[in-house]
Amino acid sequence: MAAVSVHQFAQCITCHAWSPDHSMIALCPNNNEVHIYRLSEDDKWEKIHVLQKHDQIVSGVDWSISSNRIVTVSHDRNSYVWNQETTEWVPTLVILRLNRAALCVQWSPKENKFAVGSGAKTVCICYYEQENNWWVSKLIRKRHDSSVTSVAWHPNNILLATTSTDGKCRVFSTFIKGVDTRDSTGSSADSKFGEQIMQIDLSFCWAFGIKWSPSGNTFAYVGHNSMIYFVDDVGPSPSAQSVAFRDLPLRDVLFISERMVIGVGFDCNPMVFTADERGLWSFLRFLDERKIVSSSARYGSQFSETFGKFYSQSKYGTSNDTSEPSRRRGTAHENCINSILTMKKAGDSIATRFSTSGLDGKVVIWDLQSQKDLSEYL
Amino acid sequence: MANTSRLYLTCIRNTLEAAMCLQNFPCQEVERHNKPEVELKTSPELLLNPVLICRNEAEKCLIDSSINSLRISLKVKQADELENILTKKFLRFLSMRAEAFQVLRRKPVQGYDISFLVTNYHCEEMQKHKLIDFIVQFMEDIDKEISELKLSVNTRGRLVATEFLKQFI
Repeated sequence: MAAVSVHQFAQCITCHAWSPDHSMIALCPNNNEVHIYRLSEDDKWEKIHVLQKHDQIVSGVDWSISSNRIVTVSHDRNSYVWNQETTEWVPTLVILRLNRAALCVQWSPKENKFAVGSGAKTVCICYYEQENNWWVSKLIRKRHDSSVTSVAWHPNNILLATTSTDGKCRVFSTFIKGVDTRDSTGSSADSKFGEQIMQIDLSFCWAFGIKWSPSGNTFAYVGHNSMIYFVDDVGPSPSAQSVAFRDLPLRDVLFISERMVIGVGFDCNPMVFTADERGLWSFLRFLDERKIVSSSARYGSQFSETFGKFYSQSKYGTSNDTSEPSRRRGTAHENCINSILTMKKAGDSIATRFSTSGLDGKVVIWDLQSQKDLSEYL
Repeated sequence: MANTSRLYLTCIRNTLEAAMCLQNFPCQEVERHNKPEVELKTSPELLLNPVLICRNEAEKCLIDSSINSLRISLKVKQADELENILTKKFLRFLSMRAEAFQVLRRKPVQGYDISFLVTNYHCEEMQKHKLIDFIVQFMEDIDKEISELKLSVNTRGRLVATEFLKQFI
């Protein structure tokens, strides 16, 4: 089985992030707190810190690998960068200058900047200002027609791809004078801050979950119309592929290698997409085998019965004597999966392990090592 | 009866399964608000096309969905005036107790008898398939309940009439 371990942390998880050595996990249990758990010697997760500073639900968290800092964003329009000082996590306020909720956050590959997507139809690029000792933000305004649902950094630390609920996907240059240097970036160095490199309008519905491939040649994002889009040749003449599938829409994607993508979403089961030799992408299979739980359609329980039992039943999922017409999911996740993260160690060339978290409050760790049919795509 | 309406209910069940893909989404227009978009309709791009499933003119189901909420409106079969009155009274009784049902809307959408409002918070704390089961079960039982009520009203009417007319014999 591909799922290595399943951990139930809370009733509902909105986002999670791993510490650099994967011994700790930071997650938001669908409220205004971020909990940090550590794996103890006897393989149990113990809660070691609670980060309390936000006053609305935390929508994004990211843990930087080399500088060991946590950034959190929340629907209360604020963002904090947390530094570990001895045993405590100390927050630094980020001046986002937003007037709507912040929705997503990601550290840039060099970890000197991070990007925040927001409901104010803007993207904030934040960087540290030494003289004032705080994080300031530069805004990319008036480019998006709706909320920015996801952001992704190109490995070159300059290009930023975004998806938005207007169904479009855009790539921007985020060159900031004094933070980035011209020579390191190659061809994209000519562009100024906030310049739109390209815009892709493929989806007729909301777009989510954008990610770049490890080399930065391709990126993938998903639409709410059960489609996944792959875009090559980022620049003036991009080439795109759309792949439709029959199941419920995806929320997030992850590149395992240049030829394999895992998508997660409302179907509660990770989907594997692969590219053949010619670079054509297609849906391969579900990652988790689905155990079919017997579903005998026995209708006709009394109305009054349904009244009383509905609440307790649907809340805790206890199946008692009443009928169970719809299929139960026999998969590792029981509700929508909303984030997927790679668990790449510093030395690994290819990460076969990744983690997913969802609205059922579980964090599931998956390993592709045991999947024989997928090894050719790694 | 169960067999004839099976197709209609299966269609609704499948549509609900596809439509109930909701997520937490804060309001784009008002600061620090988070409201069901299907009710506010502030941003047209956050709404999906409504789906109307009709069994016949008297029985239909309208499903409006948006990024963080879903509204299901039902029109229940009413063959005659008695059924009309019974449906109205019965569904009003339920709507007044909407809190107890979590997903019931206090007021039906215009042109319909009863409406449900499912938000992302319901999907977070309840299981999706149980929610769908509840709504389908509700639709199934409401017809049965109305016809039972109608029968008992008729029986009672007949009894009362017999008792009343006895004195004239």
